[in-house]
Amino acid sequence: MSNVKVNRRKFLKMLGWGGAGTALAGCDMPTTVTLEEGKEEVVSYLMPEEYVIPGIGVWYASTCTQCEAGCGLHGRVREGRVLKLEGNPDSPINHGNTCLMGQAGVQAHYNPDRITSPMMRKGGSLQNVSWDDAMAELSKRVGSASGLKGDRFGMVTGTVSGHQAVIIDELMSSVGSKNHYVTEVVNTSVWSAVCRDMLGDELPTLNFDKAGVVLSFGADFMGTWTSPVHYMGEYAKFRKGKRGALIQIEPKMTLTGGNADLWLAANPGTEGALALGIANFILDRGWNVNDVPSSVRKSLQQYNLSAVEKVTGIATDKIKRIASMLTERGPALVIAGASTENHENGYDSVASVMLLNLIMGSVGSTIEANSRFPEKSMRAKQGSSKDLLLLAKSLKAKSLDVLFTYNTNPSYSAPAVLQLDEGLSNVGFKVAFSMFPDETTVKADLVLPIFSGMEDWGTHVAAYGAGEPTLSLQQPLMEPLYKETRGFGDLMLNILKMRSKDFDKFADYYGYIQTAVVNMPANVVGSVTGDHADMWTNILQTGVIKAKGEKGSLTPKLVEMKYKPQQENAGYPMHLIPSTGLGLWDGRHANLPWLQEAPDQISKVVWGSWAELHPKKAAELGLKNGDYVRVTSASGSVEAQVYVHKGIHPDAVAVPVGQGHTEYGRYAKGRGVNPMKILNPLMERRTGELATYATRVTVSNAHQHGKLVHMGGSEIQMGRKFVRTVSADSLRRTEGEV
Amino acid sequence: MQVERKMLHRHLVNRMRGQIRMKTATIKQILYLSFLAAVVALLPAKSYAELPVPAHITPPPGEHESPTVPQPIEFPHDRHVQDMKINCMYCHTYARRSQVAGIPPTSKCMGCHKVIATDKARIQKLTEYWEKGESPRWKKVHDVPDYVHFSHEKHIRKFVFDADFPVQDVQQVCGVCHGEVRGMTVAEKKEPLNMGFCRRCHEANGGPGDCWKCHK
Repeated sequence: MSNVKVNRRKFLKMLGWGGAGTALAGCDMPTTVTLEEGKEEVVSYLMPEEYVIPGIGVWYASTCTQCEAGCGLHGRVREGRVLKLEGNPDSPINHGNTCLMGQAGVQAHYNPDRITSPMMRKGGSLQNVSWDDAMAELSKRVGSASGLKGDRFGMVTGTVSGHQAVIIDELMSSVGSKNHYVTEVVNTSVWSAVCRDMLGDELPTLNFDKAGVVLSFGADFMGTWTSPVHYMGEYAKFRKGKRGALIQIEPKMTLTGGNADLWLAANPGTEGALALGIANFILDRGWNVNDVPSSVRKSLQQYNLSAVEKVTGIATDKIKRIASMLTERGPALVIAGASTENHENGYDSVASVMLLNLIMGSVGSTIEANSRFPEKSMRAKQGSSKDLLLLAKSLKAKSLDVLFTYNTNPSYSAPAVLQLDEGLSNVGFKVAFSMFPDETTVKADLVLPIFSGMEDWGTHVAAYGAGEPTLSLQQPLMEPLYKETRGFGDLMLNILKMRSKDFDKFADYYGYIQTAVVNMPANVVGSVTGDHADMWTNILQTGVIKAKGEKGSLTPKLVEMKYKPQQENAGYPMHLIPSTGLGLWDGRHANLPWLQEAPDQISKVVWGSWAELHPKKAAELGLKNGDYVRVTSASGSVEAQVYVHKGIHPDAVAVPVGQGHTEYGRYAKGRGVNPMKILNPLMERRTGELATYATRVTVSNAHQHGKLVHMGGSEIQMGRKFVRTVSADSLRRTEGEV
Repeated sequence: MQVERKMLHRHLVNRMRGQIRMKTATIKQILYLSFLAAVVALLPAKSYAELPVPAHITPPPGEHESPTVPQPIEFPHDRHVQDMKINCMYCHTYARRSQVAGIPPTSKCMGCHKVIATDKARIQKLTEYWEKGESPRWKKVHDVPDYVHFSHEKHIRKFVFDADFPVQDVQQVCGVCHGEVRGMTVAEKKEPLNMGFCRRCHEANGGPGDCWKCHK
């Protein structure tokens, strides 16, 4: 045997023949997978609809509810089951595309951990009860005879819009409470505040396609910023034809950063100084389109190149290069996202970024006034982390007797120091309208299981309307899977009926929406015509109503710039970055196996948490991939495995948000860590938002090692040319200064 | 025709069983029925001319030993196909349109059986289902695993419509895979319907040979 040489080629050949032999023999093996006669049932239709053909899918239009972007969907339904989701080409937001979170919508719907019966807290634990009992209890607590009035009632939700926002408003005004907390950890609140103050429009339309260069200060517009699917489409246009250049400044590489031509990590919290430095340099050279008042010009002079290099850690030649790219490759578009917004100086930093847009003349070309949805009450109520802080404060002050929670999980998102869980126990009666037993739901006194996004009716108005204000209809794609679940709108309507006779005319939420939609004024239902029945059919078919928007105008003005750098914190040398990504988002998708197994776009880690460290820092601490580290802030600590990557600032450690659930079903529970829990209670100074990127930490070796589970064992191509590359130098020679 | 005789015998025995369950069995009845069964079994079996194989199809060899699958209603294919001359695709209407041939909707059965044979026990059972608003839960007899993408529509198109084969004789085409259903009560699997059977047929009749044509 010893002289039989088997090389790789021979081995494969042998394997091939062996495999073929097995396969051929296997062809005639009786298949026992599903072939055994009589093992499965087949049930025919009783009376099929004419257009229904078993085995052939029918597509229905609806709206995605996986995040707040409000993308239009087409759902394929076969034999009464929804099987596949795709984008609705008629939607101006996503133009027929979906992201991975949208695709995973079916897993939320068919999730085995859905709550299938109402539950009431009895003797300390939640027990199944009938809907009659649940509604009787609800009526006792919130009905007209309950005496519930005023601000002792609160409701906490995620972003809401359309008729859902209207019906929640109805309930709030019926009780006379103003305590509707709209919480979102992934938000653009600071950007919106700056846009409102400096441009006069909270979410102006950004024309990526008209831009020649985009300078993004941490705006992960392909991942988590505002309307990712929409911006991915816009990004494609921006890169097509005369290829636009993308510069990304952020402390941890995001999906957008990974696609940038130039990626730089400024010292975390100093992005504003860098923006002012670039502005100062441009003004110095006279490259600006618009002038600034002399007082502003004067105050900018302290941001000279060497001073800015010292503060931000970005070399002067890089600053010059960004400035010349903004000028030469324009029209420019400068935007800011999470890693710039969510510091204590976030507002000032974003205002500094906006200053660049003003001096480069972007306003009116790459930034235009948004066309708002004409019906004001239906516009999106955008969530913020400020509301999370306000909620925690009210709970601590014991100022709420009844709290409704829907489509949000504050108990998971709130930093531990806010003591939100303790606060929740101060509330006499907590009602959770929920599909899943998440951290907030399991603390409720009454749990009302609701329909999935694929079983319920609804209307949605996206906060970012993409220039065309649209009402997107959500219609059920199939019958409810569980007979003991109810629609959120139906429950709201029932509660309103308990309090007032005005709502008795609506049999259910479907009736409420249908009546409201077909009776909307012509400027709202602009794209839909005909009598009521025709209109409704048309809306059901297309899924979108394009309204005649109110196009405002932008009124650029400078705000008082009080830019202050972040304070140093000697005891905690590192910056904690609670990064978010397209996938688990803010943790709401941790119970969807497809998104758990979809590798993080940068680290490629699956099914767990990690702590991203720069190779320099890792070498300094003697750490390698898979080693456990303890990340400690003044408010707590978490342990995670190290992932060493160059795409992070050397003084930062990134721990992704999304894992570390203590509840939330079999796929989410007990997996990884939640960095939100160790955040310090720091606020953005002007807006009162939670400064999620401001927490300082120490990183120490936990002296434990395990294999880091991630796709792709290597960061390099091992000399095999999978992806062809050119050196930066040769590219510069052929493509100009990139 | 040994097979057919066996089949008819089973058919009758099954029928008898039904009757025995329905009525209080008396020894007299049992004896009478046994005698009847013996007489019938000795009579020459009702024979059909063998179902011809269409000239444009080369049937693949294959054998399958079929267990009888008890169904909620013992549906007599023989009565409908052989005696009443009903086309396969009258009931299995989706075969020419979709991957699946489809079990006819209960409303289709009731279309005739509101008036026809309403005194029969099986029809009364069917009517019960209909009135309850339910469909019988049939047991699958012919099936391929989920990783096999088989389309009735493509096969019917190739062997019937594209081949200008007379649609009224479609049972000859169906029979290549499904056997002589016209001689059965409830359907029985007569061919192995495994990959070897599929491959031999594809080779003999010019079907595609790529893996991904069936394994999508």
